[in-house]
Amino acid sequence: MNFAMLYDSLPYLLWGAWPDGQLGGAALTVLLSLGSGLVSAVLGLGLGLGIALALLTGGARRVLTAVLSFLRAIPVLMLIFWSYFLLPVVLGLHVPGVLSVMAALSLVGGAYLAHAVYAGIQAVAAGQWAAGFSLGFTRWGTLRYLVLPQSLRMMLPSFMNQWVTLVKDSSLAYTVGVSELSFVASQVNARTMVYPAEIFLLVGLIYWLLCAGLEAAVRALQHTVLAPRPARTAAPLYHRLTRFFSSRPSTPKEFHP
Amino acid sequence: MTFFSALQAQLLDTKYIGWMVQGWLMTVWMSLLVVAVSMLLGLLLAAARSSSRAPLAWGAAAYVSVFRNSPLLVQLFFWYFGAPSLLPEAAREWLNSSAVLLQWGGVVLLRWPSFEFLVAWVGLVLYSTAYIGEDIRSGLRGVPANQTSTALALGFTPVQTLRHIVLPQALRIAVPPLLGQTMNTVKNTSLTMAVGLVELSYTSRQVEAETFKTFQAFGFATLFYVLTIMAVDGLGQHWLRRRGQKHVQRVPA
Repeated sequence: MNFAMLYDSLPYLLWGAWPDGQLGGAALTVLLSLGSGLVSAVLGLGLGLGIALALLTGGARRVLTAVLSFLRAIPVLMLIFWSYFLLPVVLGLHVPGVLSVMAALSLVGGAYLAHAVYAGIQAVAAGQWAAGFSLGFTRWGTLRYLVLPQSLRMMLPSFMNQWVTLVKDSSLAYTVGVSELSFVASQVNARTMVYPAEIFLLVGLIYWLLCAGLEAAVRALQHTVLAPRPARTAAPLYHRLTRFFSSRPSTPKEFHP
Repeated sequence: MTFFSALQAQLLDTKYIGWMVQGWLMTVWMSLLVVAVSMLLGLLLAAARSSSRAPLAWGAAAYVSVFRNSPLLVQLFFWYFGAPSLLPEAAREWLNSSAVLLQWGGVVLLRWPSFEFLVAWVGLVLYSTAYIGEDIRSGLRGVPANQTSTALALGFTPVQTLRHIVLPQALRIAVPPLLGQTMNTVKNTSLTMAVGLVELSYTSRQVEAETFKTFQAFGFATLFYVLTIMAVDGLGQHWLRRRGQKHVQRVPA
C-alpha cells in the first residue's frame, strides 16, 4: 500500500482541472448530486401529493402510476443511456452530458420519492383531516399546518435513503464520459497503472464520507429541528376558545399541532 | 412491398437479437447466483449484527456502512483493478486461467469462469449481502421478544428457538423487502458491463455501436429488463399469496 504517491493526484480527484479547466472530480459529484437531489425532491413531492390528494383522477392518474413503475423497474444505467441519447434529439440542441445524467437521476429519484410521499400522506390518520376541516381550515390549510408537518417527519428517512442512493448513482455518469469522481478515478488509474487498489480505496473513502456525512446531517436534523414538539400543557378551555375566536379571520399560524 | 422492406431495414437483424438474448441469459444467471449466495451470507451478517459479542456486532455494522455508502461501480473497479494487484503473481495467473474443471468424453462440462465473471459475482454478492442482511435483521427485530422467552420457557434450546420459532416469523416479515432486493440485484447486474461482463446492457451497447440503431438496441434491452422485473414481481406475489392461503388453511377449525 502506498498512498503517498497519490498525493499529487489528489487535487485532480477532488476538483478536476479547475480552476484552469473544467470542474470535475468529487466537486462535480457533489454538484450533480445536489442538482438531482433538489429536482427529485420537488418532483417526488409534487407527484406524490398529486396522487395522494386525488388531484389527478382517472386516466391521468393511471398513466402517471404506470410511468413511475416503469422508471423504478429499469436500471438507472439504461435510463442514463436513454436521456443521453434522446434529450439532444428531442430538444434539437446540444445537451451537456452532466445535464442529461442529472435529468435521468432526477426522474428516477422523483419516481421513488413520489412513492414515499404518497405513503407518508396516507399514513397520517384520516381523523387529522376531519379535525382540520371541522376547525375551519381549508383543504390547503389542513395539508400545510396539520398533515404535512406530521408526514414529512415520517418521510425523512426515505428522502435520506434516496439522496444517498443519488450520490452513489451519480457514479454512473462515468459510462457517458462525464468527468465526475469515478470517471476521474479511472483516468488516474489508466494514467498511473501502478496503484489501482490505493486509488479505488481512496475514491471509495471519499464517497463514503459524502454518503455517511449526508446521513449524519439528516439524522441530526431529524432529532433537532424536525423533532416532535413536546406536548403542550393544555391552556384552560376558556383561553383556548377566546384565542381561537379572536384570531378567526387571520391565518391559523398560532395553531401548533 | 417498399413499406415492408423499409420497415425491415429499421428492425434489428436476428444475429443482433441473438446477442442480446445471450446477454439477457447472462443477466438472469448472474442474478440467480448472486441472490442465492447473498441470502445465505445475509443471514450470517444479520446474526453477527444481532450478536451480543461487541467486536462481532461492531464489525458487521462497519461492513454494512462501508458497502452501502459507496457506489457499486467503485466497488467493482476495486475488485477488478485493485484487488488483483494485492495478490501474489501465482494467484493472479490462476484466477485468469480458464482451466477446465470437468469434462466428459471430450465435451467441456464445467470451466473455471472468466475473471470478469468472478469479479462481477464477488462484487455484486458483497454489495447485496449488506442490503439483504439489513432486511433480515429488521425481520428478526419484528418478532416480539416474548416469542423467544416463551420458547425458552417451553424448554427449547437457543438454537432450536431461532430455528423453529424466530426465523420462520422473521423471514415471513422480510419476504417483501427481500423481493425488492432481488429486483435491485437484477438491475444492478447492469453495472457489471463496466468490468466487461457480457450481459444485457453490454450487448445493447455492442449492438448500438455495430448497427447505429440506438433506439432499437436500447428499446430491446429496456423491454427485457422490464419483463424480467415484472416476472420476478409476479412470481414473488404469487408465492406470497399461496403461502398466505396455506397458513390460513392450517388454522384448526
